[in-house]
Amino acid sequence: MPSSRFPIPQGTLDMLILQIVSLEPAHGYGIAQRLEQISRSVVQVNQGSLYPALHRLEQKQWLRAEWRESETGREAKFYSLTAAGRKQLVVEKDSWARLACAVQLIFGEGNR
Amino acid sequence: MIRQLTNWFRRRKLEGGLDRELRYHLDRRVSDLEKSGLTIDEARRQASLELGGVAQIQEEVRDVWLTQWLRDFAYDLRFSARSFLRTPSFTITAVVSMMLGIGATTAIYSLVDQVLLHALPVREPARLVLVDSTKGQQVADGFGSWNLMSYPICRDLDAQKQFFEGAFCRALTDVNLSTGADYHPATAEIVSGNYFSLLGVGPALGRVLTQQDDGVPNANPVAVISYGFWKTQLGGAADVLGRKLIVNMHSFVVVGVAASTFRGIDVGEVPSVWVPVSMSDEVIPGYTDLRHSSTRWMQVLGRLNEGVTLKQAQVGLQPWFKAMLKENMHQAGFPKITPEQMQEYLHSSLTLTAAPQGHSSLRRILVQPLWVLFAATTVLLGLACLNVSGLFLARGSARDREIGTRLALGASRGRLGRQFLADSLLIALTGGVLGAALAPLAVRALIAFLPKNTAANALHAGVDTRLLLFAFGVSVIAGVLSGLAPAWQSGRRSLVLQQRGGTAFGGVRLRKAIVTAQIALTLTLVVGATLFVRTLDALMTKGPGFVTSSLVSFTLASSRNGYSNTDGSRLIRRIDEAIRNSPITQVSAVAGFPLLTGGSWNNPMTIQAGKRIITDRPVNLNAVTPGFFRTMGIQILAGRNFDERDARPSGEMGFRSAIVNESFVKRFLDGRNPLGLGIGMGSGPDVKTNIEIVGVMSDFSYRGLRDESEQVFVPFLEAGSGNATFYVRVRGTPESAFQTLRTIARNADPRLPVMGLRTLDEQVSRSLNTEHMLATLSGGFSLLALVLSVVGLYGVMSFVVTRRTREIGIRLALGADRWSAIWMVLRDALLMILAGIGIGLPVVWFLGKLIVSQLYEVKPFDPTVITMATLVLGTAGLSAALVPAHRASGVNPTESLRAE
Repeated sequence: MPSSRFPIPQGTLDMLILQIVSLEPAHGYGIAQRLEQISRSVVQVNQGSLYPALHRLEQKQWLRAEWRESETGREAKFYSLTAAGRKQLVVEKDSWARLACAVQLIFGEGNR
Repeated sequence: MIRQLTNWFRRRKLEGGLDRELRYHLDRRVSDLEKSGLTIDEARRQASLELGGVAQIQEEVRDVWLTQWLRDFAYDLRFSARSFLRTPSFTITAVVSMMLGIGATTAIYSLVDQVLLHALPVREPARLVLVDSTKGQQVADGFGSWNLMSYPICRDLDAQKQFFEGAFCRALTDVNLSTGADYHPATAEIVSGNYFSLLGVGPALGRVLTQQDDGVPNANPVAVISYGFWKTQLGGAADVLGRKLIVNMHSFVVVGVAASTFRGIDVGEVPSVWVPVSMSDEVIPGYTDLRHSSTRWMQVLGRLNEGVTLKQAQVGLQPWFKAMLKENMHQAGFPKITPEQMQEYLHSSLTLTAAPQGHSSLRRILVQPLWVLFAATTVLLGLACLNVSGLFLARGSARDREIGTRLALGASRGRLGRQFLADSLLIALTGGVLGAALAPLAVRALIAFLPKNTAANALHAGVDTRLLLFAFGVSVIAGVLSGLAPAWQSGRRSLVLQQRGGTAFGGVRLRKAIVTAQIALTLTLVVGATLFVRTLDALMTKGPGFVTSSLVSFTLASSRNGYSNTDGSRLIRRIDEAIRNSPITQVSAVAGFPLLTGGSWNNPMTIQAGKRIITDRPVNLNAVTPGFFRTMGIQILAGRNFDERDARPSGEMGFRSAIVNESFVKRFLDGRNPLGLGIGMGSGPDVKTNIEIVGVMSDFSYRGLRDESEQVFVPFLEAGSGNATFYVRVRGTPESAFQTLRTIARNADPRLPVMGLRTLDEQVSRSLNTEHMLATLSGGFSLLALVLSVVGLYGVMSFVVTRRTREIGIRLALGADRWSAIWMVLRDALLMILAGIGIGLPVVWFLGKLIVSQLYEVKPFDPTVITMATLVLGTAGLSAALVPAHRASGVNPTESLRAE
């Protein structure tokens, strides 16, 4: 799939998933769709890496999962954020902001 | 980690969930794509392209569940299992080694746990302490086993509330017990009223004993029976409460059954019945006022207050104890003592020992032998581990090519090491399972060795959770240990060397080290076993000092059947006469106290020999009829036997004459002629020395075969005792005599139980139970150890010869003779053996000191024993090396060179 989209930076996928799920519980397919929409097709998410990430987050008890009926009427596995997950999201957002800020600063330096 | 481990067990469910989840994703994507206008086939293709390989996702998710490490380890285990199945002979050897090691360790540990470690099933056993005092306090008379204190001390201690929640006392005694029909000897525990409440033991039925029961003397004939007694003797009858129980011909009422888990506080002696101290006159006939006098006959245990340490209590109680000593001195009945005795008395102090396991005579006897055996099994297990290590290394070299290939294909060394660890863990766990399965059999065999009949009732051979955990822990440790060497070795393997045709030689050095260690360990076991066998042999050769053939004995305790001393002694005389006149009897006699039971009647004595001599240790005493010495085959060396001259005129107290043994003369009189000297019982300044020594007898065993004590015998007929042990040398087989003897006793009084009817041969071997156990088991262990290390040595030397075939071939081709080839192999073996012995000897020297008290007439570092053990080990080792050596000498130079 040749495109102008660049692959998602390492380690940010977890953060994005937590963010999406923090809005409302979602199943894997829903999260994949949302990722596509939100990133407006700028970021390329390999759908294959989504599921290992979901299970990793579940294992870390940042997400909890339950099976319930989806919008199509079929049972799907819905993920939602746990309290620990919510805390983690704050931490990740914060450190992302700091990193972005730092990178900005360095770039600003170079331009002067 | 825990989460991941649990995931391992629910992985089927997890897999199912993931499948559904991924299918849902695909189906949704396909239908969405279809809606956007693709054909179904295109949509499917597109969807799976986007998702990537399902198998790959599954793999990645599985990694999340189990972590790479754990999953690989599971695969390793499966791989190990498969490869083990392909090499059954290797597998069986390794598993059997482990099984023997783990099984033996587990079996011995079962006893160690039950006898030595297991806390009583009572409330907070950790707070229990045993109260005793240093020796000087013991001026008062005592009877019983160990740690004896008086009842008043117990009462006083119970009031020391700043340290103790309370203190209770107890004493075990044999009684004649009946539930209505037959009369049987049984064990009763006499306990203070607070015994059950302080221990926190409740009833299974009815109630337990209380302070009220322990109030007015002789007024509360109540008893609590043990759960076991209730089930076996009363058939678990529901209406047992209120039933009559005959204890020594006194009627007691059953008020309760103790909790099923509670079996008294002595692991070796399980009482059938508990009675309050207020009833001690009835339960221990012949003594009155045990509650008030300062006779030492009970063990006192206290329960420390929460937060009070043993040290604090011990220090804090000294002032009370000292004051009590002083006060006792001024009381009526305090024995007259010399100034030195006074000093010692006043300087004695109170001692507390932690007693979460209660108080047990059995433990006292077994503590050392059991730890010795446990240490031996640990060594054996170590040997088994080394053996398995060696086997793995050997197998590793046989698998060189496979391992080389795996390395070449990119397997990491850590990965290979882990494979070896999986191998050894699997072997050890399999061995452990088999070992644990065999352990109950072994424990049953072990219990048969134990000194007392009661031990068989008190100990169980079952496997409980504690034991399983132990076996599992030991297996894991053994698995890891035996896997270490192979894993390490695999880490050192050189890929280059592998591919050049496998001349790697590193494994051999490690295997030699392992064999050396095995030989060192084996030496300790062989020396130990030789020492114990020599001990047993020395004791058997020495014998009891009397002739045991055709000799039988049994004990009657008429005082427990309500007889007064006068009536009882009359009864004993009657039975004695009946036995002497019986056709089965060659010769017979009566003694006041049985021989070879471990106990004795003993007392310090005073001898008048120009000056007053007080014996520096208690003298063993017994009362016997004149026929005793002839019956037992004991020589009168000087003077005379007892006869009618010893009868005392009515109104006179005590004994007129005594016969002493050789040791007595040697120790106290420096071999002077003892005949005519006066002696007296006791050590006080007021002791009358009016018993005349009329004879000297040869030494023989009284308490047990190790016993070399000073003895004084007095005429039984003057003792006026109703309790006696009959010694009968019978015609014909002892078994046929047993029936006649029982009949004679029954004719005299049908309610009198005949106790301990056995041949003296059996009694001698019973008294050597511990020695038998140590000799047999350590002998067995060392034989196993010998086999293991000889096999190890043989394995390495064969391997060396195979590896060096070419070198040997060249040497032979260049003119070396066959002997040099043999020597080359033997030298290697000899080096290992010598190194092993060199390492082992200091260990033996060190360990030997720990077992001195178990030995008899042999020193722990006895040169003969060491030489013998070394020779045995050397010979076995060298013979094992001879086979490969012979093979080396048979190498054909031409063929060996062509083979490469």
